[in-house]
Amino acid sequence: MKILIIDDEPDIRTYLMAALEDSGYETFAVKENEPATEAIKAYQPDLIILDIMMPKQSGISIYKELRSKPQFSNIPVAIISGMLPGKGFKTEFKKLINDNTISFPEGFIEKPFQLSTLIELVGNLLK
Amino acid sequence: MNIPPYLEKWMGKNLFSVVPMAIAVINPEYDLVYANKAFELLFGEWENRKCYKVYKHRDSVCRNCKGSETFKDGISRVNKEVGYNKNGRLTSYTNHTIPVVDDNGDIPFLIEMATDVTETEQIKKEHQLLFDQVPCSIFILDRNFRIVKTNKKIRNTFGDTIGMHCYKVLKGLEEKCVECTAMQTFTDGQMHTGHHLWQSGTGQPGTEEQINSHVTTVPIRMEDGDVDLVMEMAVDITQTIKLEDELKVAYTFMESMIEASLDGVIAMDANDSVMIFNHAAKKIFQVSDNKKITRKEIKSMLPEEFLAQISAGQGHVYFPETEVYSINSEKIPVRLIGLRISVEDKSMGTAITIQDLREIKQLENEKLEAERLAAVGQTVAGLAHGIKNLITGLEGGMYMLNTGMKKSRLDRIQEGMEMLDRNIVRVATFVKAFLSFSKGREIKVNLSDPVRIAKEVVMLYSQRARELGIKLINEESGSISPALMDSEGIHECLTNLVGNAIDACNMSEAGTGQHVVVRTIEKDNVIIYEVVDDGCGMDYELKQKVFTNFFTTKGLGGTGLGLLMTKKIIHEHGGKIDLESESGKGTTFRILLSRSRLPKKS
Repeated sequence: MKILIIDDEPDIRTYLMAALEDSGYETFAVKENEPATEAIKAYQPDLIILDIMMPKQSGISIYKELRSKPQFSNIPVAIISGMLPGKGFKTEFKKLINDNTISFPEGFIEKPFQLSTLIELVGNLLK
Repeated sequence: MNIPPYLEKWMGKNLFSVVPMAIAVINPEYDLVYANKAFELLFGEWENRKCYKVYKHRDSVCRNCKGSETFKDGISRVNKEVGYNKNGRLTSYTNHTIPVVDDNGDIPFLIEMATDVTETEQIKKEHQLLFDQVPCSIFILDRNFRIVKTNKKIRNTFGDTIGMHCYKVLKGLEEKCVECTAMQTFTDGQMHTGHHLWQSGTGQPGTEEQINSHVTTVPIRMEDGDVDLVMEMAVDITQTIKLEDELKVAYTFMESMIEASLDGVIAMDANDSVMIFNHAAKKIFQVSDNKKITRKEIKSMLPEEFLAQISAGQGHVYFPETEVYSINSEKIPVRLIGLRISVEDKSMGTAITIQDLREIKQLENEKLEAERLAAVGQTVAGLAHGIKNLITGLEGGMYMLNTGMKKSRLDRIQEGMEMLDRNIVRVATFVKAFLSFSKGREIKVNLSDPVRIAKEVVMLYSQRARELGIKLINEESGSISPALMDSEGIHECLTNLVGNAIDACNMSEAGTGQHVVVRTIEKDNVIIYEVVDDGCGMDYELKQKVFTNFFTTKGLGGTGLGLLMTKKIIHEHGGKIDLESESGKGTTFRILLSRSRLPKKS
């Protein structure tokens, strides 16, 4: 199972990659300003873990792009963010997306996270 | 009585010559037989002429000749005649025609005695003209209040009223008025005045019109000194009364407007006596309702400079934000407008309006405070996000370290150690910056040179810009006078903006050779700083975030506090900060400091 990680923080990328690899997943990471779609095409991930607040291109616009293109829209996405609260995530996310036609992401993890929670969520999404 | 013979002789011979009346003797053939000196003076040559030739320059006997009648009936007559004097000018004269009867009872001669009344007639005519045409109503009353004579104006208004009672004509009454002005004059022989309401019109409904008359009655004395007649002269003051009423209404309206005005209104006359000090003014200056305000008190309340400018007559004197003193010497922020009122260069006085700014000031302060709290709130939210990332970083470091040790993987241990190190440094930087932000610094206001602050910041960055191949330019336009501001605070703002601009150029994909321009200008009393770069620019979402979140694009290099700090300082100066940016093209940050909103000296 292949997981693509999009996050601007190198330390978090390193952490997520190490932890997920330790759980037996194959991982690949991109910075937010590297074209995510290119990486997805090349890498064909089964799951995308996406940060929201990134300085150069926000996770929201990347998410919108993914959902608007049929070749990506069926890849599950787990949002990982310290900006959006765990409770009320849906409402806040809706506000940021501001587009009713776009479906919600399949998973959400609030930073900082319990590693076990992350692993469980990823496990569920990749069943 | 015996008349001495010499007197009788003198009268017979000389009197005829010296009497100051034109006398002529005429025979039945109308020949002038004899005339005296006065006749010659009035009518000229008379000898061997006919009377009609001399009197009237005619060649035949006059129609209605009075002389011929007297010749026939022997009755004396007095006539008014118009003839020509010796200079050929029309002359009025009264002619007494007296028959001379001889012993037989025949009338062989007439004596005609003429008096020149040309002048008297003229005066009479003028008098009548005056009486008729004067633009007021005049009539003469007898003791029974019957109208004896009226002028044209009375006739035009009331018709022919001779012989009627004045009270009937003027007021439609059946009896004398209770307050009769003419009566007063009949009683004491003095002049009196009164105010009467006359009723004009024909008596038909709808034709009535009320005339407010100001009446003067004067006595016309007979030779014995009794007052048998009174002349009543009346001026129509209906318009005046109407205007007076309108003026009264306008005055009352204005007075209540001034009194009800939310702004204070003060008016002084040309001698600076206080005429108006309305309710709002009393409230602002804390003056009790019944207190009279003196000129001296006004001087102690209002700024000297303001009053001086009004006195100098400099049109509208406008002090948008100043302070006045209440009667209890309390400082009150107000807006003042003053005007010297003059009519055709003659000073009529001074009008001043005072707008109480206390409430507005309070609202402004509350707004500033609310903005500050909002900034802190956003900062806290941003901080939470920053901290969450740091914790995640720290946890990641711990994970790498732990798993590295378990699996005896030195590379992981190494990486874990570095991650911990990095994030601990970040925590320290973060906490320090946040403390300085949340604690804030006391704003220290001094008269500062806005241009110098910009120059210093440019100097500060010049070496770094040179090293990165970025052209850093300071631009100033025109002279900008010093302003009250926290120079250190503004310095910090510009340091943040210029630092950001240099970073933006450095991040640009276009390589080197970018520009950062720091511009200081003043327009309409607003000091403007512009920091313009042609660096990487920002997209829409980034622009939304720069001020509202604890946000950095610089990874470990930034704290995300610079722009928040800048915004806070600018707000403390009552100013605004905005930005224009286009991704890939560059960014302009603009600080706007309105002089009128700058803080007062602390």
